Amino acid sequence: MNRLSALKIVTIGLGFFLAAFIVSLLACVVTHTTPAALLHSLASGEIRFAIRMSLMTSVISTILCILVSVPASYALARYRFPGRTILNTILDAPLALPPLVAGVALLIFFGTTSLGKGLSDAGIRFVFTPQGIILAQFLVNMPFMFRILRATFHGINPRYEYVAQTLGATDAQAFWRVTLPMARNGLVAGAIITWCKGIGEFGAALMVAGATRMKTETLPISLYLNMSCGDLPMAIAAATILIALSITSLFLFEKYSGIARVF
Amino acid sequence: MIRLSNVSKDLGEFTLQGVTLEIDRGEYFMILGPTGSGKTILLETIAGIYRPDTGRVFINDRDVTDLPPRERSVGMVYQDYMLFPHLTVEQNIAFGLRWRSPRSGQNGRGVRELAGILGVDALLHRYPGTLSGGEQQRVAIARALVVEPDVLLMDEPLSALDTKTRERLRDELLRIHSLMKTTILHVTHGFDEAFLLGSRMAIMDRGKVVQVGEPIEVFRRPNSRFAAEFLGMGNLFKGDSVLTDGLSQIRIGTTELVSVVPLEGRVHASIRPEHILLSLDAIETSARNAFSGPIQKILDTGTILQITVDIGIDMTAALTRRSFEDMALSKGKTVHLSFKAADVHIFPAA
Repeated sequence: MNRLSALKIVTIGLGFFLAAFIVSLLACVVTHTTPAALLHSLASGEIRFAIRMSLMTSVISTILCILVSVPASYALARYRFPGRTILNTILDAPLALPPLVAGVALLIFFGTTSLGKGLSDAGIRFVFTPQGIILAQFLVNMPFMFRILRATFHGINPRYEYVAQTLGATDAQAFWRVTLPMARNGLVAGAIITWCKGIGEFGAALMVAGATRMKTETLPISLYLNMSCGDLPMAIAAATILIALSITSLFLFEKYSGIARVF
Repeated sequence: MIRLSNVSKDLGEFTLQGVTLEIDRGEYFMILGPTGSGKTILLETIAGIYRPDTGRVFINDRDVTDLPPRERSVGMVYQDYMLFPHLTVEQNIAFGLRWRSPRSGQNGRGVRELAGILGVDALLHRYPGTLSGGEQQRVAIARALVVEPDVLLMDEPLSALDTKTRERLRDELLRIHSLMKTTILHVTHGFDEAFLLGSRMAIMDRGKVVQVGEPIEVFRRPNSRFAAEFLGMGNLFKGDSVLTDGLSQIRIGTTELVSVVPLEGRVHASIRPEHILLSLDAIETSARNAFSGPIQKILDTGTILQITVDIGIDMTAALTRRSFEDMALSKGKTVHLSFKAADVHIFPAA
């Protein structure tokens, strides 16, 4: 195995080449402006607004994803019922859907149908509002949470719950005291990837919530707006924060995702 | 007491078909059967995990068929322990007390006492992942017993353990049973376990109970071809063993067998029929066990015939049809039997 084979050289070399490409791309962005200009942009009201908007929307949409995915994925991992296969497919579907299409669908649903208009009249507005961003992130990222949790629950032997039930627990108590704590790693991994995707969500949010400065301006929207009008330092600032957040969450995800597989 | 009356359940892969069974209060009852015979689903149906399609389940004269597991007063022990990995040993054992009303007055006492009985009191603060298989199964048994269930259900509780640990825990189970007086239903595929632990046993095949009785009776008189084949068509005897020169000499009535398994006292001895050589004349052989006697019975099971010979005890040898015809055997004819001391399997009699 110590001999130098052509295959070994080519494959390892290609790996290093790809890594170098990625690192230089990121370095390019981060070093494009001077540190002073970067700090100045980061301190600006607009970037700070975008950071707050991104954090707020992504945290709320992640919590919503957890609240809905935990019960739904548990049902699909544990129970046999009519329509189970088709339900699985439909819940996975947004994963394959282009985010722009998901966004257009949300816009039409909440902007033109009578249900959407009724909600709007009742004060629950999704079109061109931060709530719309949350909804867009929820729809596009829910399948990630759902898939990770479904795999996690599937991997937990139902006999743990059987034992808990013979010891006096109801099925709901057995789920809460045994299965859910055992699913902790999957839950954390799912939350990290969902939150990370929420931070970066652009297409669907753009369609529903629009790109209004200081109103529906998340970090990706800020990057887009500032690029469009040529304010490079501001765009770079937004991009730098996004890079930092992605790398951090990637490491966290690797740490917790040992037992959960996305695909 | 457990009573199953005509219980059926279809889970596709596994089924129960009209199982009727009665297990006395305080009895140590064994269920023996091959993989896929429905042993586990029987236990889980008694525990209330599955509701039978037809039939009723009674525990201590109470019809529990429609009750959820938590109201049945059953304890469950699985082969793979199923200890809650996120809880310490102490929290695992105490799990069943969580839902008890504090007024029932047995909290606190139970956990330490049970841990003591099972010999895991030094492990209370450890997590299951750091324990050996034997330790984990002890904790699982303590967890099941802490709520003082009417019935303890065990699904191959010893099968995942190494030989030494298995033997030690097997003895522990007997001790615990005589101490706690709990009705125990124990599923296994090992004969030794069934003999050593069970006062009675049932044999299961493809979702049906095919025979019920005392282990030695079932072993000696299998009532079906399945039971006979599954049990290895029994030459099984109870006798007294004495060690001589490292060999066991087992006296059964007037007959004496020699075994290489060193064991003294009351023992069961078994010899598989296919390990016995049958001949018309006495032959020179290194086998330490050589006998002769008249043929008592000839049982035709197809290509193999079971020839039972009276050598003081009834010993059955297996013979191919070809050999049977070559020797022109018939009932009453005197033949010689020989088998090696290494083929005489002995284990302690309860």
